[in-house]
Amino acid sequence: MKKVIDIFPLAIFVVLLIVLFSFLSEKDDQLETALVDSDFPDFSLSALSNDNKTLTKGDISKLPALINVWATWCIACRVEHPFLMQLKNESVLTIYGLNYKDNRTKALSLLERDGDPYEFSIYDFEGRLAIDLGVYGAPETFFVDKNGVIRERHVGVVDETVWEKKFAKYLNE
Amino acid sequence: MIPEIGHIILISHLVLSFMGGILPLAAIYSKNDFLSIPTKKLSVFLFFLILVPFLVLIYSFLIDDFSVAYVSQNSNINLPNYYKLAATWGAHEGSLLLWILAMNGWLIAYMFFNNSKDKDYISTVFSISCQVIFAFSLFTLFTSNPFERILPIPPLSGADLNPSLQDIAFTVHPPLLYFGYSGLMIPFAISVAAMLFSKDTKEWASNSRPWTLMSCSFLTLGIALGSWWAYYELGWGGWWFWDPVENAAFIPWLLSVALFHSLIASENRGVYGKWSILLSIFAFATSLLGTFLVRSGILTSVHAFALDPERGLFILGILAFFIIGSLFIYSIKDFENETTPSYELTSKEFGFLLNNLLLVVLAVSILFGTIFPLIYEAITDGKQISVGAPYFEVILFPFALALGLLQGFALYLSWGTSSSFKFLPRLLIESVSIFVLILIILFILFDNLHLTSFATIFLSSWILMGTLQINKNKNLNYWRFLRKRAAVTFAHSGMAILTLGVAVVSSYSIEKEIILAPDDSVEFGNQTILFKNTEDIMGPNYFSKSATMSFSDGSNISDVLTEKRTYSPSGQLTTEAGIKTEIFQDLYISMGDNLEADIWSFKVQIKPFIRWIWLGALMIAIGSLLAGIKRVRKT
Repeated sequence: MKKVIDIFPLAIFVVLLIVLFSFLSEKDDQLETALVDSDFPDFSLSALSNDNKTLTKGDISKLPALINVWATWCIACRVEHPFLMQLKNESVLTIYGLNYKDNRTKALSLLERDGDPYEFSIYDFEGRLAIDLGVYGAPETFFVDKNGVIRERHVGVVDETVWEKKFAKYLNE
Repeated sequence: MIPEIGHIILISHLVLSFMGGILPLAAIYSKNDFLSIPTKKLSVFLFFLILVPFLVLIYSFLIDDFSVAYVSQNSNINLPNYYKLAATWGAHEGSLLLWILAMNGWLIAYMFFNNSKDKDYISTVFSISCQVIFAFSLFTLFTSNPFERILPIPPLSGADLNPSLQDIAFTVHPPLLYFGYSGLMIPFAISVAAMLFSKDTKEWASNSRPWTLMSCSFLTLGIALGSWWAYYELGWGGWWFWDPVENAAFIPWLLSVALFHSLIASENRGVYGKWSILLSIFAFATSLLGTFLVRSGILTSVHAFALDPERGLFILGILAFFIIGSLFIYSIKDFENETTPSYELTSKEFGFLLNNLLLVVLAVSILFGTIFPLIYEAITDGKQISVGAPYFEVILFPFALALGLLQGFALYLSWGTSSSFKFLPRLLIESVSIFVLILIILFILFDNLHLTSFATIFLSSWILMGTLQINKNKNLNYWRFLRKRAAVTFAHSGMAILTLGVAVVSSYSIEKEIILAPDDSVEFGNQTILFKNTEDIMGPNYFSKSATMSFSDGSNISDVLTEKRTYSPSGQLTTEAGIKTEIFQDLYISMGDNLEADIWSFKVQIKPFIRWIWLGALMIAIGSLLAGIKRVRKT
């Protein structure tokens, strides 16, 4: 009888561990699926290059496309920048930028210096569209297919490997 | 080159801690002296093998080596040097290094200052600690390497340290907290070794007690500093938010308090041996669990760490290995031969039992409140709720009340036999008089009486009198008092002061949103607040709009500065509150929004007795540290 009681703490702990583990896998999926297979959200924000020009969902017209969240304060964005340039130069697909919580002048001078891989960049200082997209931070990249539906999301730097593994398959659909 | 040296030394730390985790145990169980290693020397060596990588990382910060990814993510050329130092432990990777450093520090201290003469047993404690250290070292190298480089083209400057972490309190808050968390490794290792060697309860309890006390002291300091930091840096004027990360530190604190109390009974009377073992295991488990909750990203809070499910999985693995392992030993161990001395219902033993039950049930309730939102989200398919302050306050109150009542007379109980309760009437009269005195003082200070906090204020006087009177009862002269009772008196009076602070601040605080143009003034409480002017300030890495405000209560006038800072590298905004501290109250003002031209909104608060909360916590920390050190020296 005494022995059975001694197993209790172990049993309770194992249950707790299983619960925690299930959260972990749960959370993992959620990150992937939050917006996947839903329409790209509506927005109305100014263009990075021109404060007076208002951009809406309709302006994202050259589909399929990548929507890339970036900022000058984001170091990892500079890491992926050359790869985005490569996608543009090889005309693989259109890339739209979402400039996130950034300084407009700094952002423009960075694009001037390092090259501009984007069709245009949306200037989202308050992070309004970013909230709708559920953005964690920069960089983050979404794949929007020819019907305007978000198919894939990647948090972090996009490089050759990520492109091959996560995005390339949607291009030829 | 230098970061690579740090990296290589970190790898050798991994290898050596692995050997430290295996060889001593192998030597003991194979009875083969060939395998035995000098554990004392190895503990020192291991410490240096982690100290060097840590110093290398600090060095990389100081010389602005932005090719190191961790440096580029958390520092910036314009960041002042002392914040570059603090940035070393400002995010996940570096804080892990600090954590391992702290564990190694504890291990050295234990190897040199423990009071056991049983060599094999000490080697086992060493070995188990090394296994824990090895697991953390492995975790760091494989999922969170601080020396990872951005090559071939390193960025010219970094993304900057999170602005709200650029603060003096923050430079010391994490180290203290990590010292507390990691210190719980020692009681854990002791409890496992005690089971393996079937140690006598009194013996291992006396071996474990100083380390539990000292870890608890560091936890107390770390939590108090965190609370103080939140108070003036987050700009809300709150001092405890029941944020998941705060809870993650509070739960091991509660368990370590329960543990060192139950160890007193174990050491003196040989009772609760099994219970103390379980508590040691769970105190350590909850400190790991806290790490898991914060760094796996399954809970979101103000303490944002880089989110990475893989890290979560790794910590869960560490947790599973050590806790399942130790609980497994516990479940198969034969405790039958332990004889438990009997005790009466009103004895000191029973007092400790009650104390432990209350603390543990409270800890479990807080743990439940912290992870309940996750469970709810899982079973309702994604609906999110948040269990906030109301739940925790409702839970905390009855437990705090019961614990406080117990604390008031616990010191009068006697071991084993029924206690006499002759002291009760006098204690009651004394605490009622102190209670009335406090109420009169509050009335004089604030022209007001708030009924809601009567119970808590009485509790505080009850604890204070219970603590101070027992010393008079025991007829100790000054030196004997210092030697024998200073620590417990300090800690328990600290609890009384903290309780008083909480009671007063929660019912006597007032706050108001005000809108002012320069040279306008407004009446608030007994203060007149004047908005003098605004000024632009350029800091080293921020631009700030600051407002000079003047508080006047008729006789004293004092100016405070509140700021809205925009940190240039990240563009993040922070609010610096202007705080005027007096003995009995804080005048707290934080800048709101710029409504038009020169007109600003402000939030102004009067927080009476808020400093007493941290004063009380400081006394608890000093008391438990003294108690711990005293017991180390007794050897």
